[in-house]
Amino acid sequence: MPPDQTNLLQGTLDMMILKALALSEMHGLGISRRIEQITQGTFQVKPGSLFPALHRMEEQGWLASHWGESDNGRRAKYYKLTGAGRRQLEAETRRWGRIALAITRTLEAS
Amino acid sequence: MVLSRLTSLLRNLLDKQRQERELDQEVRTHELLLADEKIRAGMSPGEAHRQARLELGGVEQVKEQVREMRAGRLLETLWQDLRYGVRMLRKNLAFTLLAVFALALGVGASSVMFSAVDSILLRPLPYRSADRLVVILNHGRGPIAPANYVDWKAQSKSFETMGAAEYWTPDLTGVDRPSRLWALRMTSDILPMLGVPAMLGRFFAKEEEQVGHQYEVVLAYGLWQRQFGGDPGVLGRQISLDGKSYAIVGVMPAGFKFAPFWATKAELWAPLALGPRAAQRSGNSLRIFARLAPGVGLADARAELATTTARLEQQYPGTNRDARVVPLKEKVVGRIRQALLTMQLAVAFVLLIACANVAHMLLARGAARAGEVAVRSALGAGRLRLLQQFLAESLILATAGGILGLLFAAAGIRALVVFGPADVPRVDNVSLDWRVTLFTLGVSILTGVIFGLAPARRASRIDPAESLKEGGRSGDSTARHRTRSLLVVTEFALALMLLVGAGLMLRTLLALQAIDPGFDPHNVLTMVVSTSGSLVSAPGHSDEFYHELLDQVRAVPSVVSAGLTNHLPIAGDIWGYPFWIEGQSIPAPGDEPDAAYRLVFPGYFNTMAMPILRGRPIEDSDTATAPRVVVINEYLARRYWPDQDPIGKRFTLDNPAKVAAKKLNWLTVVGVVKNAVRSDWTAPPEEEIFLPYSQNAGVGPYMTLVARTAIDPAASAEPIESAIWSVDRDVTISEVQTMSAVIARANSQPRFDAALLAAFAAIALVMSAVGIYGVMTYAVARRRHEIGVRMALGASRANVLADILREGMALSLAGSVSGILGGLILSRLMATLLYGVRAGDPLTFGGAAALLAIVALAACYVPARDATRVDPVVALRYE
Repeated sequence: MPPDQTNLLQGTLDMMILKALALSEMHGLGISRRIEQITQGTFQVKPGSLFPALHRMEEQGWLASHWGESDNGRRAKYYKLTGAGRRQLEAETRRWGRIALAITRTLEAS
Repeated sequence: MVLSRLTSLLRNLLDKQRQERELDQEVRTHELLLADEKIRAGMSPGEAHRQARLELGGVEQVKEQVREMRAGRLLETLWQDLRYGVRMLRKNLAFTLLAVFALALGVGASSVMFSAVDSILLRPLPYRSADRLVVILNHGRGPIAPANYVDWKAQSKSFETMGAAEYWTPDLTGVDRPSRLWALRMTSDILPMLGVPAMLGRFFAKEEEQVGHQYEVVLAYGLWQRQFGGDPGVLGRQISLDGKSYAIVGVMPAGFKFAPFWATKAELWAPLALGPRAAQRSGNSLRIFARLAPGVGLADARAELATTTARLEQQYPGTNRDARVVPLKEKVVGRIRQALLTMQLAVAFVLLIACANVAHMLLARGAARAGEVAVRSALGAGRLRLLQQFLAESLILATAGGILGLLFAAAGIRALVVFGPADVPRVDNVSLDWRVTLFTLGVSILTGVIFGLAPARRASRIDPAESLKEGGRSGDSTARHRTRSLLVVTEFALALMLLVGAGLMLRTLLALQAIDPGFDPHNVLTMVVSTSGSLVSAPGHSDEFYHELLDQVRAVPSVVSAGLTNHLPIAGDIWGYPFWIEGQSIPAPGDEPDAAYRLVFPGYFNTMAMPILRGRPIEDSDTATAPRVVVINEYLARRYWPDQDPIGKRFTLDNPAKVAAKKLNWLTVVGVVKNAVRSDWTAPPEEEIFLPYSQNAGVGPYMTLVARTAIDPAASAEPIESAIWSVDRDVTISEVQTMSAVIARANSQPRFDAALLAAFAAIALVMSAVGIYGVMTYAVARRRHEIGVRMALGASRANVLADILREGMALSLAGSVSGILGGLILSRLMATLLYGVRAGDPLTFGGAAALLAIVALAACYVPARDATRVDPVVALRYE
């Protein structure tokens, strides 16, 4: 069962978008599909969450965008990580690692 | 990051069109890409596009969600909402004008009252650290004997400085037009104590308090301008006051006034030389002004004064035993406070009713626009977004109301200063300044937000699916109707309280007018004639002069009769004299009976139409050499000779404890006159004695002429003045006024209160009528279908009419009941303003409720009648 969209923590969505864009630039649908693929379908990002997040992250300077052509010849807006975005991803990764470790330890404690 | 947000903000605001275009393209591409995907997966193109649209969830909604995210979103939407709001309000011009007008009325009225409260009650008096200034008065109101002042000044430690002031009305002569001036003689401590520096010259010094050295004066700015043309070389010039030469040593700046109560018209200050009077423990004539020493509280000063006074009372029994320390400001504004606060409350009610009315209109419009809201909400407008838009509209209304209200306030303040009651302290300071402006705009914006919020919340909560399903029908809810009913009940309750207030004041006014003054004020002209600048004031001349004056005045064709008295009732001063009755035991010092002392010339009782109940009035035969006589009032007669004929009884004004028995001056009672009001219109009668001037000549430098005229008394003023001046050109004439005017001024405060409250109540009544009319019209529209069904089933018109009226009357009844409860509590606040009527007067409450019920009935009748005209066929088809 994919979790409810509204419950998807904003920070988590940001992190996944940053991670999805870590290797190459992509358009909106590409990012969405990439997140589905990485999480093996656990997270499905709907446009109503995806686009506001993309625009916000661009305003924050983590992403940059330009218009390009998709595989099937459509004019689409492509997003890529900026330097700030890359640093943000690293920070997010470290933070998440700490939280995950802490939770794992909590659950394994007897 | 801040920088990037900032550039985004700029881009969002400046390059909006491109932004919008790109956003639209991006979302549409997304939909196409989704469809492409699905076609690749083997779906038919039609089905693929449908599925893509579903998955996307609507291009417009996604776009709106992105927009919500953008920087500067709030600014941009606010601007949008304001523009939209103005457009909507212009489209409904009648609604807008009505709402703005109602608000402006409420806001304007409360601003006027606020400015009055602010300048009269809140602001400090215009002296340095004015909150440290106090006055010491006998019983908190009367003057003090000189010796007591001297002792307090020497013995008290609570006061930094203390000074005494005495009323003085000198005649200014040696100028083109001799005139009587209002002035104060005061000790040299007072002017420096106030902390207002002289504009020109100096104050007088300690040395000028010595007898023989007191001939210096400080002028007020107004007198300096009027009498000396604002000449800066006026210092050192000599002027003649009461026939003596005084040197001008200083001029005070414009706006300086002293004293702030009692002698408010003083425009000349001279040194007070007590001389031998400093040892007197009677002859109370001084008002004591003092500044509290640093660190000393009012309670400390009161305690210390009480101790000192108790000690003095033991030493000198019966002198100023009840001296009280009163803060100066309290003395100045104390009397008016209750009236102002009552008005402030009344005006707040008017404002609340105005707001309730605007809320009505907003709710009604919210209902009418339910369809629009549903569409916008379906297109992705969030609740907050809708709330913001409704609020923007009510804010525009409120601001417009505030600006118009400010204009109303400006006009109202001018009217208050011009038409306000006489003798209101500091009323000339009331003005529209930045504080009032801020208050006005603040109140209007606040009301806009608070009263716009409820309708906005209600409107934004509409379920689009429900509303659209109803297919453009009113789309209103029971909840909305309940809110409006509650508003109507509130309005009625407030209006009832205002009606009760106005009713109580009107009854007070009637009771005041019903008071019998004990004389007939109609067609009586009065004026003060002062001889202190003339030679006739010399001993032995004044009696002759006044007789001659009366002869000349009586010779004026329009004059029916004329007389003279030392102090006019109401307008004049009161001199209290202790007296000792022959054959009765001598009371303890301080416990002697005392009476208001009046000197009169023959003709006074006749002219004032004061009936002589027994014996005779003062007559021409009561000359200086005739046996000494006195006329007493009914009250004195009943009190001291309850079961006897007072005629022929004797009493004396000489203290038998101090004057040898043989030397006592006995006064024989020759007449009893009906009680007349003294200084206070509503005060019960007290002892009064009337003595012939001829037997007591030389007391006081001025007399008041009363003349009964055959024509309008004001028209006789000039011939009478000429007649007086034909006797002596050096006397001054002042305070020319009709007796009716004197009485009118004495009652101007309650009359003004009544007029103001009546105006507020009328506004409230109209607004509540509009409110209940709106609600009932709406209720009828809502029930049109039901009424149609009932009438189709045979209900008579009378049934329907009664039904609608019953609903309206239930609302008005609920309002009246809560209003009566509130009124019972609030009318207590007014208790001090009332006369001759109790705060809980059942007649007033009943009358107010009845009036309100009639207005409600009238307001409900039109919609109710409309309901009965519903054609069942049309009503049913309408659905």
